[in-house]
Amino acid sequence: MMKSFFLSLLVGLLFSKDYVKPTEIDGKKKWKGEGTTSNLESIVIGRCYEYIRIVNPSVGEKNCTEIWEAFKKAFINKDPCNILPSDYELFINLSLHTIPPNKSLFWENNHLLVTSYSDRTRRYMPLCDTLIGSFGDFLNWCGQANDTGFNYDSCPNTEECENNAVESFWKIASITYAKQSSGVIYIMLNGSAIGGAYPVKGFFADYEVPNFQKDRISRIEIWVMDDIGGPDLDSCGRGSVQILEERLKTMGYDITCIDNYKSVLLLKCLDYLNHSDCSIVSSAPSTQRGLVSPARGGSWSRLIYMIFVAFKRSVLANFST
Amino acid sequence: MPLQNRSSRTRQRTVLLVVIMVLIVTIVAVLAAVLLANGMKETSMELLQWKGRGTTKNLQEVILGRCYNYITTVNPELRDKDCQKIWEKMQKAFIYKNPCNITIEDYQPLLDLASHPIPCNKSLFWSKTNDLVHRYTKTNHNFLTLEDTLLGYMADGVSWCGNPSSPGINYESCPKWSECESNPSSVYWKMASKMFAEEACGVVQVMLNGSIEAGAFRSNSIFGSVEILNLDPDKVSTVQIWLMQNIGGPPSHLRNLVVFKFCTSLRLCNPTEALQILQRPNRFV
Repeated sequence: MMKSFFLSLLVGLLFSKDYVKPTEIDGKKKWKGEGTTSNLESIVIGRCYEYIRIVNPSVGEKNCTEIWEAFKKAFINKDPCNILPSDYELFINLSLHTIPPNKSLFWENNHLLVTSYSDRTRRYMPLCDTLIGSFGDFLNWCGQANDTGFNYDSCPNTEECENNAVESFWKIASITYAKQSSGVIYIMLNGSAIGGAYPVKGFFADYEVPNFQKDRISRIEIWVMDDIGGPDLDSCGRGSVQILEERLKTMGYDITCIDNYKSVLLLKCLDYLNHSDCSIVSSAPSTQRGLVSPARGGSWSRLIYMIFVAFKRSVLANFST
Repeated sequence: MPLQNRSSRTRQRTVLLVVIMVLIVTIVAVLAAVLLANGMKETSMELLQWKGRGTTKNLQEVILGRCYNYITTVNPELRDKDCQKIWEKMQKAFIYKNPCNITIEDYQPLLDLASHPIPCNKSLFWSKTNDLVHRYTKTNHNFLTLEDTLLGYMADGVSWCGNPSSPGINYESCPKWSECESNPSSVYWKMASKMFAEEACGVVQVMLNGSIEAGAFRSNSIFGSVEILNLDPDKVSTVQIWLMQNIGGPPSHLRNLVVFKFCTSLRLCNPTEALQILQRPNRFV
């Protein structure tokens, strides 16, 4: 009798504590994700003007304050677990601009590398180097119901609810970006990523690939980059990369796949000069001499890097004597 | 009868005179007002003309945004900096002033607010290798250039200058260095470079362009005239030189000459050693 009483009490206690809803602190819901980035408005408006005045003036005249208001309208004063991608429609319409052909770069699991390699639209224009992307890159935000302010304490993460402000933003941004891409499409994947270089459920797979415009794309090139000193878990023709290749071929695209694309590898190797994975880069014959024949092709930064390596070696050798 | 006529005529004449005088005064007053207004309009429209590109549009938003971005995401150790005040001090240094009359003292309040320490062994100076050095430091996080500090980050690629009359900022044009050296941009970078050199410690790196005809190291460049002189010999232990060459650029026999000039001006090497360096092919200090 006592046992069953205690049991029922225990069960009652367990069910009364609601694990699904977050606990409340000072009337504000406490979520598990980090809160809105401080000074969000200044950062975002500054980035907007920086983009249209300095990074990519070909975009033309845009009203950054208007775009910011449209951005806020998507999620301010609403339940932070009920924000849909379509809520950002006005924002998207105001900040849309063309993406030059052959400049689109899609990626998974190598955000920083992509940012470095694209070099603020100089080489490529990934989503983070578009006006839309610059609004959200590395930032976090959410609002709350019956409140016109941001929640700086915490925001719901994807596990707590999928329809949160940030998640929905990237969904609509990815869809839009894919629809605007044309010419040669580039995809950079991480061959050392756990779970596979091509996540079959992710922004790229679910929101970008399905929105490729077949009639505007000439071909697709995939680069599978391994971490320096990292495992070679996936590569062209294997594992999840093969799944992607098959998927794209079925859709009718002309596919090329390159393992450790040299241009990107050179960039990665800047931080690992003496690593064995970078030997292919530092042992090329042209590094032995400073003089280079002008007939040789290749990019400026690639050759300069080689000369730098040889130079640095001789400098270090002299210092150590 | 004639008396009455005379007095009425006198009265008429007086009235006429008064009317004419009033008219003249009114006309003169109106003319004066118009001329004055025009005159004022001209002075307020007087925008000085220069040869360089004008102030970047939306300068305030860009600078503020960059400041907040820097202290929030790039270098969160500086999160207590007051970006609004920093912008105000920066603006105060050049607004409504003649852009050929700017001094380092004008920027002192800004320097006091925005300077911050720099970790040792990470300073990378450059001369005539702007693009390359920034591509390098963006990817390799072992080094910091001036543009990776708050002062440099805020102003990189941006131009600005003031104008004596309203609105105080010149968006049309700004003086080039060749027109006057004491312009807001050049003085800003001199101030920031001085700070960067003074804060440098440990091993210091310099990236020079070995391909330009005038020589990779020029004593009148900012590097040659400001940064080198402000390196603190008590804090800096070693200077490493990276001499970079363009593809298909001039041959490398200039290298040694460059290094010789560099290390003698820094007094890093004694003359005999320096001469030996000149004679040795493909060897560097």
